[in-house]
Amino acid sequence: MSAAENEPLPEFDLRLTQENLEELYEQAPCGYCSCLPDGTLVKLNQTLLNWVGYSREELVARRCVQELLTIGGRLHYETHCAPLLLLQDQVREISYQLRHRDGTTVPVLVNATLVRDANQQPLVIRFTLFDITDRRKYEQELLRAKAEAEERREQLSIKNDQLTRINAELDNFVYTASHDLKQPASNMVGLFEELKRTVTFHDPEAACMVTMFEDALRQILSTIESMTEVIQQQRQPEQLVPEAVELQPFTEDILRTLQAQVNPSAVFTLDFAVVPTLRISRTSLHSLLYNLLSNALKYAQPGRRPHVWVSTTRERSGPVLLVRDNGRGIDLQRHGQEVFQLFRRFHPEVAGSGMGLYLVKRLVNQAGGRVEIDSTVGEGTTFRMYFLE
Amino acid sequence: MSSLKRNNVTVSGAGEQAMVFVHGFGCDQHMWRLVAPAFEDRYQVVLLDLVGSGQSDLTAYNPARYSTLQAHAHDVLEVLHELHLNQVVLVGHSVSAMICVLAAIAEPARIARVVLVAPSPRYLNDEGYVGGFERADIDELLEAMDSNYLGWSAGVTPLIMGNPERPELAQELNHSFCRTEPTIARHFARVTFLSDNRADLPRLRTPALILQCAQDALAPLAVGNYLHQQLPGSQLVLIETSGHCPHLSAPALTIAAIKQFLAAETPAAS
Repeated sequence: MSAAENEPLPEFDLRLTQENLEELYEQAPCGYCSCLPDGTLVKLNQTLLNWVGYSREELVARRCVQELLTIGGRLHYETHCAPLLLLQDQVREISYQLRHRDGTTVPVLVNATLVRDANQQPLVIRFTLFDITDRRKYEQELLRAKAEAEERREQLSIKNDQLTRINAELDNFVYTASHDLKQPASNMVGLFEELKRTVTFHDPEAACMVTMFEDALRQILSTIESMTEVIQQQRQPEQLVPEAVELQPFTEDILRTLQAQVNPSAVFTLDFAVVPTLRISRTSLHSLLYNLLSNALKYAQPGRRPHVWVSTTRERSGPVLLVRDNGRGIDLQRHGQEVFQLFRRFHPEVAGSGMGLYLVKRLVNQAGGRVEIDSTVGEGTTFRMYFLE
Repeated sequence: MSSLKRNNVTVSGAGEQAMVFVHGFGCDQHMWRLVAPAFEDRYQVVLLDLVGSGQSDLTAYNPARYSTLQAHAHDVLEVLHELHLNQVVLVGHSVSAMICVLAAIAEPARIARVVLVAPSPRYLNDEGYVGGFERADIDELLEAMDSNYLGWSAGVTPLIMGNPERPELAQELNHSFCRTEPTIARHFARVTFLSDNRADLPRLRTPALILQCAQDALAPLAVGNYLHQQLPGSQLVLIETSGHCPHLSAPALTIAAIKQFLAAETPAAS
């Protein structure tokens, strides 16, 4: 025998033994009623009578339980609950509103059990009803929030469709515009060449103005070129088939074209020992390296010999391509968020279209990677492009 | 998709002639459990779930298509075609009584008789017509459905959507008679209770039996009398029971009334 069983029972209040079952039924903290199979009320407790505001005499044998509900609740009862009770002898947690005789309602949760006689014929249905006034309020909050969320989602999806359409229209517009501008701008270059050859200028400042005019023309052409490129790479995704590209010869090719036209004194250090090849579309890689390298030269720190390092490393996520220079740098404190946006320019003193870094970011993202930038004004800039394996 | 799978059609019984039972709003083919077996000795008994109810193919429920009862009538006819049934006895409960009327009007040659259990051609009151309900009552029903579907957990949905690789769910399914995906149930409730098929009634040429419950809040006696008057050559039988489901609350009386109707010689179509 355990110690607990040896202990005398604690003294308890004898009034508890006077708990009277009739009293418990009548005053229970829930509503009780018993009905014939068709719902006719046979017996109700006082709690339920208080909720609906009728006397026992008014209800017993005269009214059925469905009639205590709102009409909508009654419709639900007749079409759903009543057949379910006859099919499976019970229903659980059905939410209804009781209708008080004064017209007010009390939300209740209903459980019911069908009792059958010896011949398996339905005899009586017992109902238990719980007042859920507060719970109903939460539920209504939930329903409202759900409806609201659904409406917002709907609106968002409409907005999204609109934006997608507008985006496509814009791309089309840029493509058409760049295409339409290209021809006349090229014509202007040719015509101006011709003009220079045949015309004599008398103004001593003319030579300077001619150079400025030529620069402006070149700028127009290069802007049109980059616009076409931005659109092209997204209009023709079939050109973006990834393949293993040998980085050393590929980069050297780009440098040859660059050095010839920009700054023959620039120094380039290439180191692809860790990751010698990269899986990416050749067009994309060409475009992004060309942009980053020409930027490195274009934005060189005046009075300092440009030095550019191009290298690869490997991180857990995959290969990383680095392009570092000792140029002017960008004030990231100030411009951080805008660096990769379209038409953002940070060095107005140097000619540029404001599309290079935007294009770089798009190309890297398209290849499934991401790009990060580090920069110190007056010291240089580093681009890190993280690619997936 | 086969209409037999779409409407979860089950066939039993032995007999030349077919009886097709169509359940009403709020439940599924289980509703006929106490009545349909009584006809299996002499009829081929066909049970189905309306699209959107029971274990029908819920993905077939396109709200635009099922915004009228006509679409359900069309489904019932497709089932008859696929099973090559003729001389059919169509039995419809509640809203499906009207679905059966529409089907019989569309293909009178295929349908020999219709049995309308607790029918109503229109639930809303109208000028000169007592349907029993006002528009606000229907909104209240939708509200009652909404608050009851809070308990509709995500867990039940895949179960209803069919999950043959998990047989243990079938057990649970047995306890979820008459559960319907909430958005579908809501839509079907609107289609049901806002329907008005009074204008179709005089077009029915098929002999019809109206089973009217003595006390039915959804389809009161006045509605039964209206139908009897509007349906040429129809019979009206009053079933001494309360509620809207005589096939569950008074199956013996229901069976007897239908048998008597089927045994009688075909009344001359007017």
